[in-house]
Amino acid sequence: MIHMQHVRFHYEKKPLFTHLDLEIPSGTIYGLLGVNGAGKTTLLKLISGQLFPQDGTISVLGCTPKERDPKMLQDLFHLPEEFYLPNITAQQYLKTYAPFYPKFDESAFLEYCREFEVSLTQSLHTLSFGQKKKFLLSFGLASNTALLILDEPTNGLDIPSKSQFRRTVASAMTDERTFIISTHQVRDMGTLIDPVIIIDAGEVVCNSTLDAVAQQFTMVLERTVPSSEDVVYSEQVPGGYMAMYRRKETDEETSIDLEVLFNAIIAQPGLLKNRSESITGGLA
Amino acid sequence: MIFLNIIKRELLEKKRLLLIYATAVTLILLIQELFDAFIAWQTQFILPAAENYSGTFSLFLFVGGLILTSTIFAQDLFNKSAQHNYLMLPASQLEKFLAKGLITAVGYPVVLALLFGISSVCIELITRMFFGSPIILFNPFSLATLQQIGHYLAIQSVFLLGATYFRKAHFVKTVLAIGLLGIIVGLYTAALMRIAFAPYMEQLRSMQIIVDSSAIQDHQTLFGVLEWVGSIFYWLIIPLFCWFTAYQRVKEVEATDAV
Repeated sequence: MIHMQHVRFHYEKKPLFTHLDLEIPSGTIYGLLGVNGAGKTTLLKLISGQLFPQDGTISVLGCTPKERDPKMLQDLFHLPEEFYLPNITAQQYLKTYAPFYPKFDESAFLEYCREFEVSLTQSLHTLSFGQKKKFLLSFGLASNTALLILDEPTNGLDIPSKSQFRRTVASAMTDERTFIISTHQVRDMGTLIDPVIIIDAGEVVCNSTLDAVAQQFTMVLERTVPSSEDVVYSEQVPGGYMAMYRRKETDEETSIDLEVLFNAIIAQPGLLKNRSESITGGLA
Repeated sequence: MIFLNIIKRELLEKKRLLLIYATAVTLILLIQELFDAFIAWQTQFILPAAENYSGTFSLFLFVGGLILTSTIFAQDLFNKSAQHNYLMLPASQLEKFLAKGLITAVGYPVVLALLFGISSVCIELITRMFFGSPIILFNPFSLATLQQIGHYLAIQSVFLLGATYFRKAHFVKTVLAIGLLGIIVGLYTAALMRIAFAPYMEQLRSMQIIVDSSAIQDHQTLFGVLEWVGSIFYWLIIPLFCWFTAYQRVKEVEATDAV
């Protein structure tokens, strides 16, 4: 689905990626995590062809994103964090934009809009930010593109909409599709995303499924400060300390708290780097 | 089919602006013609209405058309949030570029000429009814109109390039760039003329300016060639260069170009 090899990219004065390699297969909902400025949005724009790498190769759906080939664009929907909607009604938007996506499913779109409670008769400019986002989410999901990129999709959504978002995205997923969801809201996405890509300062420091992580580490809530040598990371949480241990063969697998995993990896970027299957990245 | 959808998208998103513009053009024409008819009725002096239409048509064709051309890419290439929609629209870059190019180069003058033609019918009937003025309509297919559109096509290409090249103040920057280029070309031409007509320069230097018709006749062929070369540049090479360069620029636009 996506192959990135030795990608180098930098903004005028800010180096970001120096030799980024990344493989993303189809049929999964990838979570893309990272602190502010880590390069998440840049990575998504490189994938969708809105930014060109200075070096290296990127292949998305068999095309080179830089060329912005219509074949690729027909099968890729990218919902950015900040978006623009023209001053037309939802119906007009549907009639104008849907023909560009050959696999667009209008009945699914109407169903998603109904689930998200988005009005189709209003002018798009009169909708609130959250409503606009839900409208575009519905459109993106209904486009049935092989690759769906969502940059901070739950920002601006109310609590019921976030739950609805998880349900709707999960229901729209098929083996032929890949979703990449960039987010800071790991609590919102914990049940949805797997595998997880974590980037830090332009480097991919984790590209792994949560199952793979659970085979290597366990997470236990301790009452007191954990002092064992096996603790790789711990942080204070309500009710004690969440400790992350290297898992021994005799230990049972535990569920992985995505937020703790993220904090652990950011604190120790090399923690999973050498263990995951397809990670490598370069820090400028 | 995709190309028509792109055109439809362009027009739909600019529908309100274009309707306001068309209304403003019609109202300006109406006021102008009513005023002229009133003056004619008062003074018994009949103004040539067709000339009025032609002058106003030129104004709207060049000023309106070149401003429209200058701003046609402003949102889609250089606005941070709107750029995403344009770049991600599933169509080839050529189709997306041609849609905008043709709307401003062909669509605008054709629609403006038709708007003037239709408006003139209504306005002339009104002025006839109130002031008894003779009916003189605007002819969208007259030679003068077609010549104006031809010149517009040649000049518009430069503004199309400016629209894709400059990130802000596209129209003003294009006008300034043309001015600067004009000065450079003028100085270069002057230097060439100084070399080519060196024997006559002595007279110029001593302020004895003599228009020697025999000298002009001697160089009639040269002037003819220069005029021909100039025409080729004006009608063909410059427009083609501008369209090609503008397209290359659109292909190379990235998210970092948005401001």
